[in-house]
Amino acid sequence: MNTISPTTTAKRQLTYEVVSGGSGLLLALFMWGHMVLVGSILTGERGFNWLATMLEDYYIAQPTVAAILVLFLAHAVLASRKIPAQLRERRKMLELGKGLSRSGREKVASASPFSPFHPHTESLLWIWQVRTGMIILVLGSFHIILLGMDVLTELFGTRVGIEAVTTMERVQAGLWLPYAILLVCVEFHASIGLYRLATKWGAGAMLSRTAIHHIERVLLWFFLGLGVVVLLVLAGVMPPPLAFLLGGAGS
Amino acid sequence: MTARTTQAGRRLRFEIFRYNPEDPESAPHMQTFELDETPYMSIFIALNEIREKQDPSLQYDFACRSAICGSCGMMVNGRPSLGCRTLTSDLPDVIKLHPLPVFKLIGDLSVDTGTWFREMVEKTEGWIHAQEAFDPDAQEARMDDDTAAAIYENDRCIECGCCVASCGAANVNEEFLGPAGLNRIARFAMDPRDERDDADWFEVVSSQDGVFGCIGLMACHDICPKELPLLEVYGYLRRKALSSAMSRRS
Repeated sequence: MNTISPTTTAKRQLTYEVVSGGSGLLLALFMWGHMVLVGSILTGERGFNWLATMLEDYYIAQPTVAAILVLFLAHAVLASRKIPAQLRERRKMLELGKGLSRSGREKVASASPFSPFHPHTESLLWIWQVRTGMIILVLGSFHIILLGMDVLTELFGTRVGIEAVTTMERVQAGLWLPYAILLVCVEFHASIGLYRLATKWGAGAMLSRTAIHHIERVLLWFFLGLGVVVLLVLAGVMPPPLAFLLGGAGS
Repeated sequence: MTARTTQAGRRLRFEIFRYNPEDPESAPHMQTFELDETPYMSIFIALNEIREKQDPSLQYDFACRSAICGSCGMMVNGRPSLGCRTLTSDLPDVIKLHPLPVFKLIGDLSVDTGTWFREMVEKTEGWIHAQEAFDPDAQEARMDDDTAAAIYENDRCIECGCCVASCGAANVNEEFLGPAGLNRIARFAMDPRDERDDADWFEVVSSQDGVFGCIGLMACHDICPKELPLLEVYGYLRRKALSSAMSRRS
């Protein structure tokens, strides 16, 4: 008989939940590391190239691109399983979220001391997480594939690998726009996702939701700010502010 | 917080959902009523006033008037609330009232929460499971204070249905146990008198209709009129599912 035991189904659901949350956590942590690596452009092209070459020479960059692509796809498949399939259901959730966040009771203390939002906005935030997630799926795929080709092939630039000149040319040629959108979406999606993940598994016992929310907001603005500066330097709008560290911006 | 009892001389506008599913002539629509605000006016007082003086056909449920019976759950400006403990002084001039979603509509603001909660209790088998025959003469088994307090905290649920109405997952998945159902599971799972073990709970908890159907919108926790620690409950159930799967593997 071809039946699936309830225990198998239950184990599968647990695995889905752990993998979707775990992959999200790893991707968020990676994004902070990624921002620090890309931030090397703030010291000038030389610093950026040195770091990129080092990561490629020691074969750190190549497997990382592959691993991130796998995590990215796993997260997209599993995290999206809770998005309602029917448009009618999505509209219902949107109406519910809007109603809760605009109930006209801003002055009323929320039921729980854990809630940082007056009134409740997390239901709407989740819908924004879905929206940003969809944008990340498109723009992020493009970015990972492009960088994969940079790292593994000679298609772009003068050699195999990531180069500051190629990156800056791309950004200045118009990729600043998709990258700016991607930056805002990723930082928002990651910080709200981490906040939700922490509260879901019961971090509230150690840290209040207000505290988790504050941490998340500080991280959001820090990495968003850093990302904007990096993008301005890559776009050539601003000189690398930390160039003095390496004695000038020259390559 | 210092609560205002009224906002100076306000004329309140109530926009109330009207529909009687029993009447084939009736169509769902919003009806407007106007009312002068009085000190300490609750939605309960306002609705009584409207029914007595403006429209005796208005349907809504109330019993205790003190947030104990759980009858008067309704959507107040989009937020599930108990009518009896929601003061108009906390609300804007226009107050929109809808019945709670998810539950079967009886008429206007009145819904049938009873059937939903009965099904939930049957599904979760929300009662103590013990093999040993009950001996009324025996001394009760001792329980430590922390466990008793934790059980009592979850047991304070008045089954008003506000959490279920606020839940995105319950609104789109009929089979989902909902915040109140998960709370019920946690209540019996942490009770030492209940002989069901982790393996018994695992299949109910670890499913799309159990705790992993929860999206983590946290609305239930924020709107619960009895301020139940629902987020703690889900954290507890998630960790329990994980530890039970891991202990079985080892």
